[in-house]
Amino acid sequence: MMRVTKFTYFKEIRFMFRKTKVFLFVTLLALVVAACGGAPTAVGEEKATEVVTSSGVSTEAPSEEPMSVSGDLVIYTGRSEPLIQPVIDAFKAQYPNVNVLLKAGSNSELANALIEEKSNPQADVFITTELFTIQSLAQEEVFEPYVPKGADQIPPEFLGADNMWTGLTRRVRVIMYNRDLVSEDELPASLFDLTDPKWRGQIAAAGSTNGSMQAQIAAMRQLIGEEATQEWLYSLIANEVTFFGGHTDVRKAVGAGEFKLGLVNHYYFYLQQAEGSNVGIIFPDQGEGQIGLITNATSAAIVKGGKNLPAAQAFLDFLISVEGQKLFAEQNYEYPLLPGVPLREGVQPLDGFRLADVDVVKASLDFDATFDLMERVGLP
Amino acid sequence: MTTLEVRNLIKKFHGSERSAVNDISFELSEDEILALVGPSGCGKTTTLRLIAGLERPDSGLIRLNDRVVASDSVFVPPERRGVGMVFQDHALFPHLTVFENVAFGLRGKKPDEIRTTVGEMLHLVGLLPLSKRYPHALSGGERQRVALARALAPRPILLLMDEPFSSLDADLRTEVREHVRGILKSMRATVVFVTHDQDEALFMGDRLAVLNRGELEQIGTPEEIFHESNTRFVAEFMGDSDFLRGRVVAGGIQTEIGLLNQIVDLPVSTPVEIALRADDIDFEVDGSGNSLIVGRFFRGAFNLYRLRLNSGQILHAFTDHTKILPVGTRVQARVSAEHPLTVFSEYHTV
Amino acid sequence: MSISPRLAVAAGLVALFVAIPLVYIFIRAMGAEPEAWQRLLQTRLWKLLSNTLLLVVAVTSGALLTGVSMAWLTERTDLPGKKIFRWMLAMPLAVPAYIGGIVHLALLRPRGGVIPQFLESVFGQPVPTPSPLGFWGAAFILTLFMYPYVYLLSGAAFRTLHASLEEAARVFGRTPMQTLFHVTLPALRPGLTAGALLVALDILAEYGTVALLRYETFSSAIFVQLSGRYDRSAASVLSGILVALAIVILWGELRLQGQARFTQMESAWRPAPLVTLDRWRVPAFLLVLGVVSASLLVPFTVLLIWSIEAFLDPQAMTVLFRTGSQGFGSYVWNSLWSTSAAAVIAVALSLPVALLAVRYPSRFSRFISRLCQVGYAIPGVVIALSLVLLVNRFLPFLYATPFVVVIAYVLRHMPQAVRASESALNQLSPSLEEASRTLGRTSLQTLIQVTLPLILPGLLAGGSLVFLTSLKELPATLLLRPAGFDTLAVRVWVWAGEGFYLQAAPAALLLVLASALPLSFLLRREQIFK
Repeated sequence: MMRVTKFTYFKEIRFMFRKTKVFLFVTLLALVVAACGGAPTAVGEEKATEVVTSSGVSTEAPSEEPMSVSGDLVIYTGRSEPLIQPVIDAFKAQYPNVNVLLKAGSNSELANALIEEKSNPQADVFITTELFTIQSLAQEEVFEPYVPKGADQIPPEFLGADNMWTGLTRRVRVIMYNRDLVSEDELPASLFDLTDPKWRGQIAAAGSTNGSMQAQIAAMRQLIGEEATQEWLYSLIANEVTFFGGHTDVRKAVGAGEFKLGLVNHYYFYLQQAEGSNVGIIFPDQGEGQIGLITNATSAAIVKGGKNLPAAQAFLDFLISVEGQKLFAEQNYEYPLLPGVPLREGVQPLDGFRLADVDVVKASLDFDATFDLMERVGLP
Repeated sequence: MTTLEVRNLIKKFHGSERSAVNDISFELSEDEILALVGPSGCGKTTTLRLIAGLERPDSGLIRLNDRVVASDSVFVPPERRGVGMVFQDHALFPHLTVFENVAFGLRGKKPDEIRTTVGEMLHLVGLLPLSKRYPHALSGGERQRVALARALAPRPILLLMDEPFSSLDADLRTEVREHVRGILKSMRATVVFVTHDQDEALFMGDRLAVLNRGELEQIGTPEEIFHESNTRFVAEFMGDSDFLRGRVVAGGIQTEIGLLNQIVDLPVSTPVEIALRADDIDFEVDGSGNSLIVGRFFRGAFNLYRLRLNSGQILHAFTDHTKILPVGTRVQARVSAEHPLTVFSEYHTV
Repeated sequence: MSISPRLAVAAGLVALFVAIPLVYIFIRAMGAEPEAWQRLLQTRLWKLLSNTLLLVVAVTSGALLTGVSMAWLTERTDLPGKKIFRWMLAMPLAVPAYIGGIVHLALLRPRGGVIPQFLESVFGQPVPTPSPLGFWGAAFILTLFMYPYVYLLSGAAFRTLHASLEEAARVFGRTPMQTLFHVTLPALRPGLTAGALLVALDILAEYGTVALLRYETFSSAIFVQLSGRYDRSAASVLSGILVALAIVILWGELRLQGQARFTQMESAWRPAPLVTLDRWRVPAFLLVLGVVSASLLVPFTVLLIWSIEAFLDPQAMTVLFRTGSQGFGSYVWNSLWSTSAAAVIAVALSLPVALLAVRYPSRFSRFISRLCQVGYAIPGVVIALSLVLLVNRFLPFLYATPFVVVIAYVLRHMPQAVRASESALNQLSPSLEEASRTLGRTSLQTLIQVTLPLILPGLLAGGSLVFLTSLKELPATLLLRPAGFDTLAVRVWVWAGEGFYLQAAPAALLLVLASALPLSFLLRREQIFK
């Protein structure tokens, strides 16, 4: 029997404040550093050594002096607003003359907008939570090539062809569970165990509008084929899985004991755990012959024809700088792509896990078929 | 001098079978009051609105002081015709005071001049003390007078009045119309006055124009209209006439209630109708008489009896107020008029 | 007076402006590849259709039942405290249904909500509680926030209905209850039908609440399509069908519109005698209190508590006051100026249409007026879809500016402005304008000096209604807003969607209060549906 306080959501809110404190602390720290004049110099030095044009694409080096980068910077972000906000705050601390305008939405909603706006570009930077959307858009020639400073250190599989986009952080699809409700010995070991009738009505997941879920299905189509994926989705629906709009709802519902299991990105487990919930994490499909962990990466690109190229370039530089990567790792428990940036304490390193191998270009070319599939099975 | 000339005016409304105004022509001299009278739907208000420029005629001509304001090729909008109008509902601007209402038509004049003119007009209608009030704080009669003052203030070439007294109580109406006629005459205004009330038309008009179904039936002085009705309609509408059927004989007209000694220029045995008003008939009690009393209406100074002839025809007759007979009394009725009566043959006056 | 060509042209242009997005959607729907139609027909269409219609039927019946019974209790019985109830029962119109849904979801969510957890801690085991999710939840929440339409219309009808009508029924031997069902309610029918159709149109257009409560209807499916695939044809097809459905309802509504007007109180009018509730007094009081609590008091109190907590905590305030580089003040300002602009533009555009329809009634003017009312039948998502495509293609300089959002508000809420203007003009005797003409004013001078000052209160009412409904508009704002342009409604939606209730609460509270002001003005004028 679970023992929870009467007003769980107030507790959640208290946690939120704790989290805000961390945000604030980091922001303040950044401000202090910036004020001491240490950071800009450091960045400048890095610039001198790290601007590398690996493919002969002419890359305009951003302005040396952060104060001279100014104006509106329009960011379309598929990452939810609270997750990107601390990064923007830290960026603004370095570039105080830049006015960031944010439009948050789902990856595909923003992708639609970008395609719609090709002849009339509005955004400067696009950020998504997975690679397929950004790769599809790159093929639609929506982006301006750019090699951010430090890109040479990012693993090449997380850089777009022709420098169209840059990976930021890695995340893993996992199953989280409520430890009050599920005992260790009955845990599912595979995504395919979620179709087991013993979990009927006990599983929460994100629905067809969620970028990470879309990407997972796209990956599965490549890994196990269209038919098996369709079968799996049908089975989930038949097993009365509840599909939410986003993963925040999923993790909270699992944390509150509304559901026993939740299909999420790994950091949602850590976020929920940090709120004090008694939850556990399963890295599925590690057995011989199983598909392995499905991973994906957040990514960013500069929109072709954007009105503020210097700021856009400075922002991308910042995202894969040590400071930016640290923010992602610390704030959101993600796996930074820049080597040497430490994981947040307690986050399980990916070394030693069996990872699924998915071809990004192929998946992005097939992305439309993924939508057809979700529609066909009637995924909510 | 002719102030208003209306010639062959025709107006047909969309979706209507017949013309609202069908080929109407008349003229109006300076200082004259013309009463347009007729039952509702006869086209009198439409005629007025055509003169005002609130409607556009299908054809015909309207001339004001020798200036053509409406014809096949010309249409002067109302604001440039220089006519004044008093509306049935007075149409006082509720957001303006009495003073501002009257001053509304004086735009472009000097403030002094406006003040003087409005003061004069309000004095004329006896409302000077109320000039700061808003219309909702006025009585019906007062509103009526403000509307008149407002219409007269710009000294219009022609004043148009659309049933101006119809919204007043009956007892107030007689008083107001005397007052209004006095004002109009003192201002030497030229007026077209629309009403459906014969009494009002007879009282207000220097001349009357009787309209029926969009057509002008007769135009003339009140006396001409009343006594020399051109058409059966005019006689019926203006005089409350009954129509007694008869047949032309050698010595006059033979009717159900006896021979009428009036020679008419018609062949013998032509069927005719004689217009009879209640004061043209007299009767005496007679057990074998030609009529039966079927109703009595006490009218104060006299009694009005309704008689049914043996043929079923109804006639009305006045008697003095002392002669009271019960319904059902058989009487002998006769024509008592000592003046020539109007005789119609197939709706044409003889 | 003879028709002015300038006026006809102006009204025609307004109608054209209103009709273009509608026509465009139909063209897109018809032009969609057969494949898109086929895919939809085979899969979602029938499910969506039945889902949507079921919800429409359920909420409309719920709203009728609640609205009429609340109106009867507060107008015709000796219910204690009915004066204050009369006001409180109308106020839920100021609470957007999705905000009500957010609060109820936080309270009632199965296992996770405040109430289920409280019960569990008391009884030591989970106690089944009604869920606000799914069909029944959506029907319940929407009923709570839609019944005021019916309540206001039937309340006004109860007030103005001749007492003699009911007295006659009593004299002819009917009991009070029989009188209610055989005489009073049938007499209210035109108003009730009109109220029900308004509710039905609103349900068709509803996005926020159904999305929140996870019940899929046409509107939410279109939204998903719009934010999902990279092609617009499926969304266009669904939009075309939805608009066709709504036009059928709107057609019925327009037929009844004339009859829905408040009857004029005649001089012989006197209030009907009150029904004595006797032993039903307490249950009736509790019933009304329950409705008022669920639709007004509870949402308001919860928002207030959350807001106070947010304000007491400086860290929550930091998040509250900054998104991107935008602060709380900018959301408030954006909401206010965009909705005010929409109100002014809608009222201004409604003028030529109303003047034409009222002063020069003809087949043409009626057609123009009807055309301007189709906004009721075009849900926000459809307007957004249409505008995205149209503006980007033909007016690229307007694209991704807040003006597109304003245009969406104007298109969507134009009918309210047209109706208010027409009603105001109907009450103004044309002879006033004619008098002005005979006193030397041109038609334009007459409009400015006589007509406008006199219909100003009516125009204000229309503007308030547009303001009120635009303020809470969600789907079109979400889809059309440029980056950095957030309104209160958007912030509430985004924050609550992330589970940040404390941050959402002050914005939601402000939204409710900002809606309550024009609503009170409308209620005082009894102008809300005239």
